[in-house]
Amino acid sequence: MNTLITTLFLGTTRGAVFALVALGLVLVWRGAGIVNFAQMGQAMFSTYVASTLIIKGYGYWFAFLIALAVGAILGAIVDLAVMRPLTRRSHAGVLASDSMRATVPVIASLGILGVLQSLAGMIWAAEERGFPTPVSDVAVKPFGKTAPFTKFDLFIIVVVALTLVVTTLFFKKTGMGLAMRATALNPEVARLSGIRISRVRTLSWAISGVASSLAGLLITPSANLSPNTLDLILIVGFTAAVVGGLDSLPGSVVGGFILGLLIAVINVYVSPDDVFLALLVFLLLVLILKPGGLFASKKVRNV
Amino acid sequence: MSSHKNPAARNLFFVIIFAIVIFILGADLDPYNQGQLAVVSMLLIGVLSVTLLTGTSGQISLGQGALMAVGGYASALTILNLGLSMWLALAIAIIVSAMAGLLLGFAAARLTGPYLAGTTLVLALALPSLANRFESVFGGDVGLNVDFGNPPSWLISAFGEIGYEQWQLYATVPLTCLALLATANILSSRTGRMWRAIRDNESAASLMGVNVSTNKIFTFVVSSGFAGLSGALYGLRGIVGPSVYPISLSLLLLTGAILGGLRSIAGALIGSALVVFLPDLIEWATRPLALSEQIGNYLPGLIGGVLLLLTVILNPGGIANVLHHHKNK
Repeated sequence: MNTLITTLFLGTTRGAVFALVALGLVLVWRGAGIVNFAQMGQAMFSTYVASTLIIKGYGYWFAFLIALAVGAILGAIVDLAVMRPLTRRSHAGVLASDSMRATVPVIASLGILGVLQSLAGMIWAAEERGFPTPVSDVAVKPFGKTAPFTKFDLFIIVVVALTLVVTTLFFKKTGMGLAMRATALNPEVARLSGIRISRVRTLSWAISGVASSLAGLLITPSANLSPNTLDLILIVGFTAAVVGGLDSLPGSVVGGFILGLLIAVINVYVSPDDVFLALLVFLLLVLILKPGGLFASKKVRNV
Repeated sequence: MSSHKNPAARNLFFVIIFAIVIFILGADLDPYNQGQLAVVSMLLIGVLSVTLLTGTSGQISLGQGALMAVGGYASALTILNLGLSMWLALAIAIIVSAMAGLLLGFAAARLTGPYLAGTTLVLALALPSLANRFESVFGGDVGLNVDFGNPPSWLISAFGEIGYEQWQLYATVPLTCLALLATANILSSRTGRMWRAIRDNESAASLMGVNVSTNKIFTFVVSSGFAGLSGALYGLRGIVGPSVYPISLSLLLLTGAILGGLRSIAGALIGSALVVFLPDLIEWATRPLALSEQIGNYLPGLIGGVLLLLTVILNPGGIANVLHHHKNK
C-alpha cells in the first residue's frame, strides 16, 4: 500500500514536468505546424546558464528567472534564424511537397539540437553537474510520520499548476492569446483579419521555450545536468503530446500526467529497463487505436 | 544521350568504375584510412536506405540505427550460434531486418512527418533495451564479438599480403556495389516513379492507381534491408552491442544523406564520405590552433549541425544538387 502511494506521488510530480514538456511541443505544433525536437536542447542550454549563475554566487530565483528569459530568447532565435527562412522557401525544390514540408523542419530541429549540445559541451565541459532545489528535497514529516513526498515535489506541483493557470488565462482572456488561437485554427483567415501571423508564430516559439526551460529547471535536480540528459525527457514529452492529440493544450497536460504515472508504475513494479519498451508499445497503441489522441474531437485527422 | 535508352547498363558501368577506384585507392592507403574507407562503404548502404525512404518516398525515419542493430545482431547470432559463414550471415541479416521493416512499415504507413519521426525515435531508444532484457542471447551491454575473419587465400595470392582493414574494405565494397546498383535500378524503374509520386502528392498518386499504403510498406521493407546489411557489416568490425548502434548513428545517416543530397545516389556517396572523414578533416585543419581537448571533441558535432542547418535552409538539394546545376550550365 505504501509503495503504491509513493508510486502515485512520484508519477504525479514527474507527470507535471512531462506536462510542461508536452505543452511546449503542442504550442509550437499549433503555432507553426512543427514538432520541435530541439526543445529540450534549448531547455538544457538555459538550465546550464542557471547552473553557472548559481555557481557564481547568484541566488536561485535570479538564476531561475534568467533561465526562463534565455529559454524565451532561444525559442525566438530558433524561429527567426531557422524555421522562418525554411518555411519561406518551402515552395521551392525539395520542399515542394506536403510530405517534405512535414519532414524537413524535423531535420532542421535535429540540426539545432546538435548545435546546442555541441556548444554546451564546449562551454561547460560536459561534466555532469547537480542542480540545486529552492526548497528542501527530503521527505516532509507532518505529525511525526514520513510522508511519501518532499517539499520540492510540492513546489513542482504548485509551479506547474500556476503555469497552467497563467497559460489558460493568457489564451482565454488576452488579445494576443486570441490571435494565437486564431492562427492555430486557420492561418489564412487569421492573416486576412489583420493578425500578423509571423509575429504570433515567433511568440509561440518563445512561450514554448519558457515552458520547456521551466521543465528543465524542475527535472534537473533529480537527473543531473549534461548536454544529453534531457533528450529522454523530450521523448516522453512527445509521447504525452501525442496521447493528448498533439494539438490540444489540455490534452497535452493530461497526457503528461498519464505518462508520469505509467512510467512510475513501470519503474516500480516492472523494471526501469523496460520503460522505453513500454513507451513504444503505448505510443503505437495510441497511434493505431486513437490516432487523434485520447481526447480526439470528431474531426478526422491525418496523422 | 544514348545511355538513357538503357539505364541498367549505364548504372552497371558506373558501379564497376566505383569498385575499381575503391580497390585501387584501398591498396595504397595506410591501415587507418583503409578502415575509414571501409566505414564509408558500410555507411553508404545505410545512407542509401535514407535516400530511398526519405529522399524518394518522403517518409522520415530516425530509427535507421535500430534497424542497423537488427541486422548486426542477426548476423552475429547466425555466425556464433549456427556457425554459418559471414556471407550467409549477411544474407540472413538482410532478410531479418527486412522483416522488421515490414512490421515497422505497417505502423508507419499510417503516420506522416513528425509522428513518424517521433515513433521511430522511440523505437531507436526502446530496441537496445532488449539487449539487456535477454542478456543471455544478446550479450547485454557488452555485446557479441564477431569479425570479418581472414581474407581467403585466392585474394592473398592475387594481391599479396592483405591487412585486416584492407580486408574489411574489400569484403564490403562488392556488397556496397550491389546496393548502389539496386538503388539505381529502383530509382529508374516503375517502382521508383511510384514512390516519387507518393512523395510529391499522395492523393494524386492514389488517383493514378498507385496503392499508397502497400508502396509505403514496401519502401520500409527495402530500406530496412539496406539498413540491416549496413549494420551487419558495421558490427563485423569487432562488436555487435548497444554502444555500436546509438541514436546518434541514425542521425549520422540522416546528416550524410542531407549534406550530400537527399535525392541522388551521388549525394549519398558524397554524404557518407563527408560524415566519416569530417572529424579527421577538422582535426587536421585545427591542429595548428592547438585547441583544448574539450573543444576538439565537440567541434565535429557543431560543424556537422551548422552544415545541416545551412543545407536545409540555403541548399536543400545538398552538394549533389550544386554539382548537377554546374554541369548543366
